[in-house]
Amino acid sequence: MQYTVGISEMKISSNPQDVLVTYSLGSCVGLALYDPQAKVGGLIHCMLPLSKIDEARAVQNPCMFTDTGVPLMMQALFDLGAERRRIVAKVAGAAKLLDDSNTFRIGERNHVVLRKILWKNNILIAAEDVGGTVARTMYVHLDTGATIIKSAGREYELA
Amino acid sequence: MSRRDEILNKVSAIPALPASATQAIRLIQSETTGLSDIMKAIEYDVSLTADVLRLANSAYFAGPRQISSLREAGVLLGAARILQLVLASAVFPVASRPIKGYDLPANDLLDHLLAVAIGAEELGKRLRVSVPHYTFTAGLLHDIGKIVLGTFLEVDGEAIRQVAFEEQISFEAAEDRVLGINHAEVGAALLESWQLPEGIVQVVRWHHSPELAGAEALTADLVHAADMLSIECGLGVGVDGLNYRIGPDVAERLRLKATLAEQVTAAMLTELQAIRAQRRPTGGAA
Repeated sequence: MQYTVGISEMKISSNPQDVLVTYSLGSCVGLALYDPQAKVGGLIHCMLPLSKIDEARAVQNPCMFTDTGVPLMMQALFDLGAERRRIVAKVAGAAKLLDDSNTFRIGERNHVVLRKILWKNNILIAAEDVGGTVARTMYVHLDTGATIIKSAGREYELA
Repeated sequence: MSRRDEILNKVSAIPALPASATQAIRLIQSETTGLSDIMKAIEYDVSLTADVLRLANSAYFAGPRQISSLREAGVLLGAARILQLVLASAVFPVASRPIKGYDLPANDLLDHLLAVAIGAEELGKRLRVSVPHYTFTAGLLHDIGKIVLGTFLEVDGEAIRQVAFEEQISFEAAEDRVLGINHAEVGAALLESWQLPEGIVQVVRWHHSPELAGAEALTADLVHAADMLSIECGLGVGVDGLNYRIGPDVAERLRLKATLAEQVTAAMLTELQAIRAQRRPTGGAA
């Protein structure tokens, strides 16, 4: 079955028949984590980099922020039997508007925070498609971990 | 006839709003509108009344209260708020359809319009500036020109995207290049033909060039900033992508810092999700 991951949401699954999809990644970051041996994976769509800007909202909805959402998804996958050393990470999004005014540079900040968290957790990014002024849709297939990006009329595998 | 004139001619052929909404618009302009006038204008329009009540019951407007009748909504929220909700409900049916020319699926533009209406108001509140009461409505209608171009005229958004991409110009500048007019100007022309208040028309016209908005500069800055934040987080982004330019000095004029921008973005999404839950209780595609 196909499950939609909305903005500030995550979904995890251990059913190889499932496909997880998130639409319209702008400056948000989409992160797919997959353990090919345990065949468990997850997809998260984080909107903002750091939860400290609104801690009450981060308690209500940790997946809104990269720094609180990503560790939550990692833990949920470990609980399903995933192992850190086997996890494959793929990243999409972090797009930007045409002009880079610092006030609006959310994509870049999201990307920096995400890389830092993954690095701290000893998870390498296997492939990523970030930046530019395009919106992206991201699919994760739970049977193989294949991650597909649709953007500006094109479709390609992130590998 | 130029493509621009052709488009402007079509605008005048677009059906008017429902009578109840037109009546509400006239009331917005009047200084002395009371609750009973509003009730009279919409009480016979059952679906409009139902939409207004659903909106009124979302946390953004009502907080934790439960509002069960139009009269109660009027007392709790005030006449100005009810008028905004009437107008919002009137554009729901047309804004929730897919916008073909811009490659927007059903409900995506409506989500964007609501996000910008909420975001502009929220920004004003947090920046502690005094904003006109029609800021919400201006935000809600800012992209109505996209409905005209994308639905009634079915312009080829892909051709516009290519021009924007190749020349590294913003999408509305590419619209100007290809069509001789952009969605902001088309929206303003439509709202003029609906005889909406001049302030709203000017904000819609200049929402991509707020520095040109004259007397409406502050509201145009707020709507523009909320629009850019909403586009950044991918709300209502179709073929145009993130190909938009932030108006020069908008952040400086508003004294808008990155932290506040992010706080408003977070609030905008949360409130939008609450309204969405009220409108589509069964869930549906996000």
